[in-house]
Amino acid sequence: MVDLKEILQILPLILVGAGILISLVLEMYSKRSEKILPWLSIIIFLSAGVLSLLSIDSPKSAFNHMISVGGNTHVFYFIFTAGAALVTLLSIDYIKKYGTYYGEYYILIQSSVLGMMLMSGAKDLLVIFLGLELMSVSFYVLAGLNRKKLSANEASLKYFLLGAFATGFIVYGIALIYGSAQTTSLEVITLKFSNLSTNLLFIVGVLLFLVGFSFKIAAFPFHMWVPDVYQGSPTTIAGLFSTGGKAAAFSSIIITLIAIFSNSVQNVFAPYLSVIATLSMLFGSIVAIAQEDIKRMLAYSSIAHAGYLTIGLAAGNQDGVAGIIFYLAAYTFMNLGAFGIVAMIEGEEESNLTISSYAGLSSRKPLLAALLALFMFSLAGIPPFAGFFGKYYVFIAAIKSDLTWLAIIGVFSSAISAYFYLRIVVLMYFKESTSELTLFESRTGLLAVIISSILVILLGIFPGSVLQLITSFI
Amino acid sequence: MIELIHLTILLPLAGFLINGIFGRKIKNACPDSIGEKVIGWIGSGVIGISFLVSLFSFFETLSLPTDNRQTIVNLFNWMTVGNLNINFSYQVDQLSLVMAMIVTGVGFIIHVYSIGYMHGDKGFWRFFSYMNLFIFAMMNLVLGDNFLILFLGWEGVGLCSYLLIGFWYDRKYEKSTTADAAKKAFIVNRIGDFGFLLGMFLIYLTFGSLNFNEVFSRAESFSTDQSVFNLIALFLFIGATGKSAQIPLFVWLPDAMAGPTPVSALIHAATMVTAGVYMVARCSILFASAPAIMTVVAVIGLLTALFAATIGLVQNDIKKVLAYSTISQLGYMFLACGVGAFSAGIFHVMTHAFFKALLFLGAGSVIHAMHNEQDIQNYGGLKKYLPYTAITFLIAALAISGIPPLSGFFSKDEILWYSFANGSFVIWLIGVLTALLTAFYMFRLYFLTFEGKHRFSSEKHPHESPKIMTIPLMVLAGLAIIGGFIGIPEIFSGEHGNQFQNWLAPIFKSAERKLITYGSHSHFEEILLMSISVIGAAGSILYARYIYTQKPFIAVDVSKRFSKAYNLLWNKYFVDEAYDATVVNPILKTSDSFLWKIADNKIIDGVVNGTASIINIISQRIRKIQTGVAQFYAVVMMVGIVIALFWIIFGR
Amino acid sequence: MQNNYLITLLLLIPLVGGLLILVLPKTKENIVRYSGLAISTVTFILSLLLYFNFDLTNGDFQFIHQFKWIEKLNISYFVGIDGMSLLLVLLTTFLTPLTLLSSWSSIKKNVKEFTFFMIMLEVGMLGVFVSLDLFLFYIFWEAMLIPMYFIIGIWGGEQRIYASVKFFIYTMFGSLLMLVAIIWLAVYASTPLGYFTTNLLELYKVGPDVPSTIQNWMFLAFAFSFAIKVPLFPLHTWLPDAHVQAPTAGSVILAGVLLKMGTYGLVRFCLPLFPQSAITFAPYISILAIIGIIYGALVAMVQKDVKKLVAYSSVAHLGFVVLGIFAVTMESVQGAIIQMINHGLSTGALFLLVGIIYERTHTREISDYGGIAKIVPVFSFALMFVSLSSVGLPGLNGFVGEFLILIGSFKSPVLNSWWYTVFAASGVILAAVYLLWMYQRVVFGEVKNPKLDGIADMNKREMIVLLPIFIFIVWIGIYPSTFLNVSKESSKKIIEQVYYPQEISKK
Repeated sequence: MVDLKEILQILPLILVGAGILISLVLEMYSKRSEKILPWLSIIIFLSAGVLSLLSIDSPKSAFNHMISVGGNTHVFYFIFTAGAALVTLLSIDYIKKYGTYYGEYYILIQSSVLGMMLMSGAKDLLVIFLGLELMSVSFYVLAGLNRKKLSANEASLKYFLLGAFATGFIVYGIALIYGSAQTTSLEVITLKFSNLSTNLLFIVGVLLFLVGFSFKIAAFPFHMWVPDVYQGSPTTIAGLFSTGGKAAAFSSIIITLIAIFSNSVQNVFAPYLSVIATLSMLFGSIVAIAQEDIKRMLAYSSIAHAGYLTIGLAAGNQDGVAGIIFYLAAYTFMNLGAFGIVAMIEGEEESNLTISSYAGLSSRKPLLAALLALFMFSLAGIPPFAGFFGKYYVFIAAIKSDLTWLAIIGVFSSAISAYFYLRIVVLMYFKESTSELTLFESRTGLLAVIISSILVILLGIFPGSVLQLITSFI
Repeated sequence: MIELIHLTILLPLAGFLINGIFGRKIKNACPDSIGEKVIGWIGSGVIGISFLVSLFSFFETLSLPTDNRQTIVNLFNWMTVGNLNINFSYQVDQLSLVMAMIVTGVGFIIHVYSIGYMHGDKGFWRFFSYMNLFIFAMMNLVLGDNFLILFLGWEGVGLCSYLLIGFWYDRKYEKSTTADAAKKAFIVNRIGDFGFLLGMFLIYLTFGSLNFNEVFSRAESFSTDQSVFNLIALFLFIGATGKSAQIPLFVWLPDAMAGPTPVSALIHAATMVTAGVYMVARCSILFASAPAIMTVVAVIGLLTALFAATIGLVQNDIKKVLAYSTISQLGYMFLACGVGAFSAGIFHVMTHAFFKALLFLGAGSVIHAMHNEQDIQNYGGLKKYLPYTAITFLIAALAISGIPPLSGFFSKDEILWYSFANGSFVIWLIGVLTALLTAFYMFRLYFLTFEGKHRFSSEKHPHESPKIMTIPLMVLAGLAIIGGFIGIPEIFSGEHGNQFQNWLAPIFKSAERKLITYGSHSHFEEILLMSISVIGAAGSILYARYIYTQKPFIAVDVSKRFSKAYNLLWNKYFVDEAYDATVVNPILKTSDSFLWKIADNKIIDGVVNGTASIINIISQRIRKIQTGVAQFYAVVMMVGIVIALFWIIFGR
Repeated sequence: MQNNYLITLLLLIPLVGGLLILVLPKTKENIVRYSGLAISTVTFILSLLLYFNFDLTNGDFQFIHQFKWIEKLNISYFVGIDGMSLLLVLLTTFLTPLTLLSSWSSIKKNVKEFTFFMIMLEVGMLGVFVSLDLFLFYIFWEAMLIPMYFIIGIWGGEQRIYASVKFFIYTMFGSLLMLVAIIWLAVYASTPLGYFTTNLLELYKVGPDVPSTIQNWMFLAFAFSFAIKVPLFPLHTWLPDAHVQAPTAGSVILAGVLLKMGTYGLVRFCLPLFPQSAITFAPYISILAIIGIIYGALVAMVQKDVKKLVAYSSVAHLGFVVLGIFAVTMESVQGAIIQMINHGLSTGALFLLVGIIYERTHTREISDYGGIAKIVPVFSFALMFVSLSSVGLPGLNGFVGEFLILIGSFKSPVLNSWWYTVFAASGVILAAVYLLWMYQRVVFGEVKNPKLDGIADMNKREMIVLLPIFIFIVWIGIYPSTFLNVSKESSKKIIEQVYYPQEISKK
């Protein structure tokens, strides 16, 4: 029997859900939906985000242990909604430039966000799956939004095929878990784990589950889709994939692993996680060097960052979890900032996407150049920006659980990655412009980037309060 | 007056600053020659006053009781670190006073002379400020009461010599330029300083101080391990060989003649080059405690004396001849120290300062008269044009040849005597041989320059130098004549003995105590040896006269017959070439073609950039797997999953 | 502990000032220049305040200001200075205004950005010298790369991009390893301390007790990152490129202050945190330092580019400093500290002079010069003066440092052999060789290059820039006590920290 109290507890979810319905109606009946929808969804996101922060308190579970409320779930809610809001803000002018407007654009973003929220708030593997599918399906569509464009279709199709492939493993994993544990409820699994830990079926199930999610977080060797999809899909949407999508996937992994290992000593998957962390970091940073297309470069950079984040998982301690959450927040803002500027520089017919087209930007668009440089330094993990502190924290986690070698590999790949992040700065500041590029003014876009830059700096210099918040729930 | 001894250091410094900063302005402000006079007299004046100060301090010290004639004048602390404590403080005692008076006295004369000599030079003011700076440094060297102040002066004089050798920096000099000569001087000296530094470190390590009194008193009572003295003495002596142009570091001094002649007189004959002798004498106790090194000092000194003298026989550049004779005379001084006759060494420092300065200034006057012609083959019969120069030069030549009763006789003979008494007959013999050679080439020089018929072109009209130059010559000539009388050996002077020796005795007494004293020798021996050397010298003078006035062809003919030997001497035993071939060029080559071009650019930096490019290549390779074919992507994922499964099932 | 806000003010004034410069109109270049000069001068005056209120008899950290910054990891904003850092702070604040003044006419494009970056650079360097929390230290240490990177990259020479990227990544690579070591140390310390902290003073207590194997690794990680900054042979190759490509102001700061951050780190962290390891590795590091001294000198000798020559001479000079540090005697450490200052002044001045002549002739090739003594006498004198100071002529600053280092290393119980000193001292000879040879080729001889005729001698502004440096060169040479006394107590403390854990008798 559902009572009002529980309804109130999941208000953020309900807000977004309701938003989707309203938007659908609006899209159908209003001519001026193109104008209204973005602002509507921004309002929805912000209210949901603010609400989840306000209603934050010690984690509880609702709907007979299906959904968890409060705690870091709400932190994730905020990350998703804030990220989505920024994406929407960026999209307003980008859509015009990108081609024809499709009403479902904003609605799909909303539904994907709802999916993410479910993933991060799940207490039951099925709920995770529900959220995952909701998010993924919306993503598939968003990727191929521009049906006129071949590259978009290809991206969408690849994403769909491989995504489905990965989802298959997740389902299979869940099935095995259910088979061995007779439940899909994480809480029950937690209780049962002590005698499940030796059960091979169970372990394999969890492994497959992890593998499936390794695809979603774009970790090596399940990253192959990333560059093509990012390149093909609308830049703003690529930004959403790389931030919200990644964050949601990590949130699910975290809640699952925590549930499983909360009352056991060591994390049996640490070796697996360490390996994919290592490979993702090195592969991402090394291959990114060779990229000529900035979106592909950012794609590889996101693979590398998946690696850094996975260090936190491998460490499997509280600092690891806290580190990941903080890192995700930081990453969301700096990466959206980067993608946002790319979206603003991008011209019609996907022009100006090559790295070389950024030459001499500083003289023509000093502000944009400065901001992009800031995001690049932050992504490279140079203090005093948010990116650095995220890394610092996951490294602490790694070293605390005797994975110093992983931290060392981490710093190696950071040094390598500095090279391609700096390359952008070099072009913008140390080179003269080669080709004349015409830029579309985008006030909203600029607003979005500035907001994220401010957040990047604040998170970098005053991570204290956020950290306090996150860790208080672990 | 003694308390004011620091004036002798500060006044030259003031002179340096005044002329250095305002010199150009003064020159431009006043009409042509007055400006020079002002500058010149400022420069000379400060030195003159310094001389008076040290003179009075000398008399004041004389009035003190013999056993406590040492006064320390402390100015301020230089550095205090750990238990290292260095002060800018100066030690006025018998030895430092002698040196101070030589430096300021001869220095003053030469300054005055320079007013005439440098007349009309565009760098007139620069010259005088450098000269003052030199006196400043030199006074630090001789007056400092610890090794570091001595080293301050030591390096300072090196700098001034560098600046003054390269004074005419845009002139060619022989094969290279004056700047090269200057650089060579500085660097060769630095090699010596390297030894000196190590000596200082070892002293500090052994005695825990760098202050003369502390070090020497501790050294006297030092009993643990005597071998350390050998190292200390050796290191210090290496320093001395650099500064005082002894084998193997003498090569810079001949080139140093690139500087203006008064510089050669002051720095490269009278004062700076004797710094090494002073240092050895000052550290007499340290050397006396290292008998082995004493022998080394004696032998090096002796060999240098002979070696340089032989080269001097055939050189034709008037200043080169004097340069080699200087090296040879310095050899004598080290010989004296080596055989334990420190006061004799210092005595020779003094007399040498007189007559060698005189020789150089005379040569300067000749060069001045002959418009920078320096080759004695193009001189001849100059006596009637330059009477004063000629006569003073003759006096100096006689003095250096050791003809009694001129100053050189007493000092040189004392050295020879001790080299026999404390040393051996062989040493004495070589010493005498050198003396004969000296007499010979000095008079070869004299006769070729002033006597015989003139061999210079008719458009040259040599004329005697102005009074401002000739008066200093006469003063120095006077000193060269009477200078020796303060050191008359006791066989002549009777019971109150050798005044000079007695004066310095307190300084060296601890050293003499350490040295093994030989059985006393009879006066007869002394007289005999003395007369042998004197007669020999006189003989070679006459022989020189015979060859270079009556039968010039003999010389030519000899050089023909022994052309090999002649070549060897003419090319100074090819020492410079040897050094270039064995040291200088190899270092330059390896540094350039290996260290820089290969080690640095290729290997070390190669590794750095190599890593970068390797990563780049890998990147270029790996990106290829991104084929864009979805099926392939799926396969890769599959492989990953399979591996993971294998690991989880079998691997754990 | 009573907080003292002076240091925080010292950091804030340039930080805020620098940001304010950004809002100035781009076209009003002189206003920008003057305000930049004003800000840095105020900072300098403020640092003088530090000096005058500094308690010379106290070896502990003074002007402490501490407050919690990141509770969770109890990272705190924690600044304070001892004698050594005070000297380096003064050096920084002293050189910055001079460099700004020196680039008055040489920097023509983007004056605003240039001034901004220079001031930010100052903030970064000051932060490094005053931080007492490893995390805070690391923030400044890394952040400072950014402005330098831009200064080289935007206003540099032909290969500025190569140089700037190399500089950035090379040094960053080293620092990242240090980051790992910092965390490792902090994690390790959390066992005995009972909590995770990066507070330096707390870690001082723990560091020496770290078992030697782990301690060695931590030491090496720290030392590696500092060695790159110093730079210690064979990690020096970024330096010539950076020096040559950087604009004059950049080179001056690079040589004057940045390199000192490496040596500072060695003294502040490597010695007291890991004493055993420091002693274990002292011989090897000293050998590298000595190789650097001789190698740097020999390579400098054959350079054809004046700036490259000076760059390699830096390698040699800092070799002395490192030797002094790892000889760990009062004399040598004091010498090393004073030598840091000396090198900052002398090499800084050398770069200024090279910049001055380059501005007139636009060539750095030694062979393009010769005989300029006649054309620019004042410049020639200045160059001679600085060369002599860098050659280590007694009476000028260079000598004091080198002498103390050598005499200290000679008696060092850690190195415990003369040979180090013997070889190091040979560097004194070589220094004379390359500098005097360079001087001779540039200044002496006849004028061959027609381009040189009629170039202007140093102007008032340039003299004003150099005069203060010259004053200090003489001051340190004649009366170094002023400066030695400042660092005396702190050096004593550091040495005790090294010797305390093991029973090596302090000679």
